[in-house]
Amino acid sequence: MGDRPADLPEALGRRISDGSFTSGLSVAEFAACLELGLEPVGLAQGFCAMQWSTYAMGGAFARGIAPYGGGQGGYVENYQCPHGMVSGEHRAWGQNYQQTWIEDAWLKGFSSAYSRMLEEAQALGAHGVIGVVDTVGHLSDLGIIEFHLRGTAVSVPGATAPPTPWSTYLAGQRLVKVIEAGFAPVAIVAAVASVRVWAYCMTEYLMGGTAGFFGGASDPVEIAQIVAAQLTAREIVRSSARTQLHGDSLHGASVSVLEREFEKGDLEIQALLRGNRLRRFKEFDALAVPRATVRLS
Amino acid sequence: MSNDTSDLPQATGRRLEELEKGLFTSDLSVNEFLLIKEVGFHPLGLVMGSSIYHTGIQTRKWSQSQELTKLTEAMYNARELAMTRMEEEAAQLGADGVVGVRLDVNYYEWGKDAAEFIAVGTAVKAEDGVSRRNKLGKPFTSDLSGQDFWTLVQTGYFPQGLVMGTCVYHIAHRGLGQTLGSAGQNVELPNFTQALYEARELAMTRMQDEATALDATGIVGVRLEEKSHQWGSHTIEFLSLGTAVVKASDVVSLDRPLTIVSLDN
Amino acid sequence: MTGAGDETALNLPAELRRAVASLGGPAAAGAVTTSDLSIDEELNLHSLGWEPLELVSGYSVFSVAPGYWSWGQGEIASASAAHDGAFRHAIARMHRDAAAVGAHGVVGVHVERVVASSHVEISLLGTAVRPVGTRAIPADQVFVSDLSARDFTLLRTAGWEPLGLAVGASFVFAPRRRVGTVLQQQSQNVELTNFTEAIYAARESAMERMQKSALALKGTGVVDVKVVEGPMSFASHAVGFAAWGTVVRMVGDAHQLIHPRAVVSLNDLDVAFDARKLE
Repeated sequence: MGDRPADLPEALGRRISDGSFTSGLSVAEFAACLELGLEPVGLAQGFCAMQWSTYAMGGAFARGIAPYGGGQGGYVENYQCPHGMVSGEHRAWGQNYQQTWIEDAWLKGFSSAYSRMLEEAQALGAHGVIGVVDTVGHLSDLGIIEFHLRGTAVSVPGATAPPTPWSTYLAGQRLVKVIEAGFAPVAIVAAVASVRVWAYCMTEYLMGGTAGFFGGASDPVEIAQIVAAQLTAREIVRSSARTQLHGDSLHGASVSVLEREFEKGDLEIQALLRGNRLRRFKEFDALAVPRATVRLS
Repeated sequence: MSNDTSDLPQATGRRLEELEKGLFTSDLSVNEFLLIKEVGFHPLGLVMGSSIYHTGIQTRKWSQSQELTKLTEAMYNARELAMTRMEEEAAQLGADGVVGVRLDVNYYEWGKDAAEFIAVGTAVKAEDGVSRRNKLGKPFTSDLSGQDFWTLVQTGYFPQGLVMGTCVYHIAHRGLGQTLGSAGQNVELPNFTQALYEARELAMTRMQDEATALDATGIVGVRLEEKSHQWGSHTIEFLSLGTAVVKASDVVSLDRPLTIVSLDN
Repeated sequence: MTGAGDETALNLPAELRRAVASLGGPAAAGAVTTSDLSIDEELNLHSLGWEPLELVSGYSVFSVAPGYWSWGQGEIASASAAHDGAFRHAIARMHRDAAAVGAHGVVGVHVERVVASSHVEISLLGTAVRPVGTRAIPADQVFVSDLSARDFTLLRTAGWEPLGLAVGASFVFAPRRRVGTVLQQQSQNVELTNFTEAIYAARESAMERMQKSALALKGTGVVDVKVVEGPMSFASHAVGFAAWGTVVRMVGDAHQLIHPRAVVSLNDLDVAFDARKLE
């Protein structure tokens, strides 16, 4: 994943060689960890700071001239004006396209920070990392984003260390229950999809509500270009996550969709997915039904 | 250690005396109070320490990422003073420890570079009369809630002290040339990665050194906080905080928790 | 409370070693599942013998001409129809996705709804589920429900089943007061009957539509109904009322009591961990 691992700072050497453990777990999570027979060995973290620009290519230069499209691979869909009008004001064609370079850069930043976290965990002699927290933050300097991943490195007494530590967002009783239910944590999964929408006249009129005149219909109609972009962003992020599963399952995933309008008729739809890749290690055996309770207050 | 109260303002004397007569004050909730009693401790009183500190000024190089050691020292010493004063109050009450410690920083209108560092917590004492003070003979401190304290004791671990490490770091500005040179590309900036990495590692190592001084087995509940205080966006304090614990017994007396589905709204 | 009541005492450390030992090789071939249920919810489902299959979504946006919002009389039919269409298309797409993976239903559907002057947008995201080891059922029997997996589990335990989503919405134009009336009422505390009447009209038709769609699904009730109502921020004389919820029906002959146990919690904050809340 990360092709150029950052050298561990000098300070880390000392922290790691020290005998005691540091853990980001709360006391309840720590207790659950002991219940499982997991030994916390230290807090592992990884970073990656990247220069960031949403207009990285295309957008900024192409705005007002013609939509950018193709050439980068991925999904592209064109929309042609049905009116046959020729005018500088009239968006005679439109395009939806996948911003693969944004997705690639995001994944590169995330996976660099991720593999550095695993490197640290390995340096600590850990078998896995639990309770992973990730933050993707914008730094003061405009145009830099920082990926920061951290979690508690743990080892399983009596087991041999895997070549690469396993990892999960889960910790505490949730992790206990997941193992009870027959799942082993494999890795955290993160995926992003970015679809740019350059609206053509029909979409613009429909979004602007002037369809009655140009669209020739006064009944409500679906805005096909936006629907296609939204559905595609969700599909891309799902299939991108699926390629990271290699036959395992994804659980506890969250998908968030963000729509940004840079200028009228110039949108970015970004979908972000995070979850836990889990492997079933024993046959399905239903958990005990939780006891229904009412709190006396 | 327990009679060394020279550092405390006079007014605290009388309040502490009243507390010694058996009345206790505490900001613990009823739940926390019951749980602390459950593991054999009794609250003695609310203890606090504060220190109003003038943080010095340090020049920063526009284009270089570096630690601002003078500010780091100031931030560290001020918190340490507040904590020590709180510990002294607790020691005077004959406490074995302080639970639920909160560390706050307040800024006042009147002092531009002055800040008040406060440590507040509830002093507790073991009911069996056996001292639970830490290796240094001081009351243990921890930011654990009553619930967490109870849980931790059930697992056979015991708190030793609230440990912290801090590092004030200046993140370089980027020159115009640099910005333009790589315009139009989303690429890693290794210098920034390294700087952010180092700053947090320094804070964490310092925290770990404190734990080692207490002969701790480990640190639980580590939090990493990032604050710019009033220094502008390029200067960031990285603070790491946690409770150092020792393994006191091999007996884990925690029941397997019952899985419930709550019908409360 | 040792042994935690009805729960089997598994040797957890042994289970853990078994779990990590499985990581040695590649995954066993089988169907890949993806789920956006929180782990808590998934475990609830697990206790019922159901499992997640796939993340499914539905989306639709319908255009509305803004002219309709600012002038007219009675119901703003074009807006009501756009709301109806967007919901129907989004649900249909989610339904299609779910049926395609052989699900029996979709639970935990998050509904995002935007009503703007120029469009109505509906976005749905949920997890397709079915009982472990069962096969696909006829597509028209697949349900879509916005109940959480927790609620779904409780409801099933009590002998009820979800059938689908019922939706009703209506947007109504509040007639302008005559200039004379405006002047007359300027300094008085009076009810603006035109608005009251409009919101009543919107509510009546919206609820009626929701009930109609519930009956069409052969339900005997609608639970957890969400209501959004009030004046439209972008149009001075338009009011809207929208309601949606999950249609339910009893499976057998009688309701099953769940006999909750009374507990006293010593936790000040029951912090519910959520895998999706990542700082």
